[in-house]
Amino acid sequence: MAVSKCTRLSGPLIKQLLDSVDNVLFDCDGVIWRGDEAISGAPEVINLLKKTGKGVYFVTNNSTKTRKMYADKLAKLGFNATEEEVFGTAYCSAMYLKSVCKLEGKVYLIGSNAMRQELEKVEIEQIGVGPDHVSGTQFDWANVALDPEVKAVLVGFDEHFSYMKLNKALQYLSNSDCQFVGTNTDTRLPLEGGKAVPGTGCLVKAVETAAQRQAQVVGKPNRFMFDCVAGKFNVDPNRCLMVGDRLDTDILLGSNCGLKTLLTLTGVSTVADAETHQKSGCPVRQGMVPDYYVDSIAELLPALQG
Amino acid sequence: MAGAVSSRGCLKIRGAQIRDLLDSKHNVLFDCDGVIWNGETVVTGAPEVVTLLKQQGKRVFFVTNNCTRPRENYVQKFCRLGFTDVAEEEIFSSAYCSAAYLRDVAKVQGKVYVIGCQGVLKELQDAGVPVVEEDNDSSSFSIYDFPLDPDVRAVLVGYDENFNFMKLAKACCYLRNSECLFLATDPDPWHPLRGGRITPGSGSLTAALETASNRKATVIGKPSRFMYECIASQFDLDPARSLMIGDRLETDILFGINCGLATMLTLTGVSTFEEAQQYKDSDSPEKKDFVPDYVVESIADFLQVLEE
Repeated sequence: MAVSKCTRLSGPLIKQLLDSVDNVLFDCDGVIWRGDEAISGAPEVINLLKKTGKGVYFVTNNSTKTRKMYADKLAKLGFNATEEEVFGTAYCSAMYLKSVCKLEGKVYLIGSNAMRQELEKVEIEQIGVGPDHVSGTQFDWANVALDPEVKAVLVGFDEHFSYMKLNKALQYLSNSDCQFVGTNTDTRLPLEGGKAVPGTGCLVKAVETAAQRQAQVVGKPNRFMFDCVAGKFNVDPNRCLMVGDRLDTDILLGSNCGLKTLLTLTGVSTVADAETHQKSGCPVRQGMVPDYYVDSIAELLPALQG
Repeated sequence: MAGAVSSRGCLKIRGAQIRDLLDSKHNVLFDCDGVIWNGETVVTGAPEVVTLLKQQGKRVFFVTNNCTRPRENYVQKFCRLGFTDVAEEEIFSSAYCSAAYLRDVAKVQGKVYVIGCQGVLKELQDAGVPVVEEDNDSSSFSIYDFPLDPDVRAVLVGYDENFNFMKLAKACCYLRNSECLFLATDPDPWHPLRGGRITPGSGSLTAALETASNRKATVIGKPSRFMYECIASQFDLDPARSLMIGDRLETDILFGINCGLATMLTLTGVSTFEEAQQYKDSDSPEKKDFVPDYVVESIADFLQVLEE
């Protein structure tokens, strides 16, 4: 049965779609804000959705902020949102280690202070955060003292990433009982002011290559982040919409979880990208084709205001 | 069908079989780590084997992916470990060959942004290839805002114990220009150290940069052919009369096969006989290229034959 997909969302279709869902999940970068500026109309959309009784949640692969930091940013940009409604990978990785890995022990962390804080909140002790340079000889650092209580290596965005950290991760991961988790595999991290730097995916790849092991990845398109939201807020996937700007993370997550999906063109992916996936014969790639697309989520406003 | 067409049979040889093989070869290419030495410990008998091969008119070359030293330091290491007659010209490291590639093959006009250690920097200097001066303590700039050198025409990545996020970010910026060359010294994901320890290799740093830039590096080291072509450009080599001896199936043996050489695995290093057998028994065609023609326990097994 051919399902019509990748349809431009307009006119009565907009209200139809919104009436068919109780909850809406939004990616952040490229969807509701760009750097430190809200996308025009986005705060109004979010606030109106909540007013009409929808659940609104934020799902981001960015591991550099705690939920509290995200809540502060949302408030500053005019969005009515609470800490509990934000799901970033710093928070979700901590949850993943606790609930999926059932971690008993410490984590060797390559990541941010935000990740350290989220781990502390769930009483997971970490070592490794902050700068770490090599000293001594090659043999010294290959024989660096390892903490026997470390039972997992967690890799997130880390501006202090260094050879020494890569080396320590390798030494810990040489033990097959040590778990290996990555926050996400995005290759670029968008910054304030519209720039971008290499993303967490590069750091995860470096560790995977050295250790010749695959990381368990927490972030989109892995369904864990949806499960975090659904578990807390009783979300029915049949009545849930995922809004994102990336086909290979946001839309694929939506497809993987049976959600309706809406691509917004204010970020990374284009309609041409979506159509290329659609025309390919590949079933996996069909998961990256959104149900609908809009130029910007501001296009939802008339239906919400009417 | 019993008995494969090719002689790539993973054959353990000794005595007369070794003699017949050596008689048929004029050039012997040795990998270093795990073949003639392990760290600072020589493989017993290796210096004598090299001397005897040369005395019997063979040409001997050393082909190593290890880019941490310039060639003159390798000469010192050879001396230190008891090899009395190894000349700089016979040593081909991925650092030396990367510099040769930039100068002679790519003929790069401009500077090279290097993620690497002293070994690579010295070889580039010796080859007259200009390099961007890198300050390892880049505390004056942040990862979000740093200056770029407009004369950079190539990025070279290799083992670098001072690798950091800033270098990754800078290299990624240079690689946004599709005209900028992207080279890697070698693909090794980790390097063995003595005592069974390992340390992250050039391959892991290259993987980070490939992911960041969405580009594939041109890899100079084994198993790519370039190091062989570098030797062949300086010496007259007939692949049919050349033997590659190594300890890593996925680099040394594949390299030998890529270059049309006979291949021998020695068991004093990384790969095991069982691993070689597994590749031989595998159904997948690419794995056949990891299967050595011959296997010895150690290159010391040549001594018995060479001393006759």
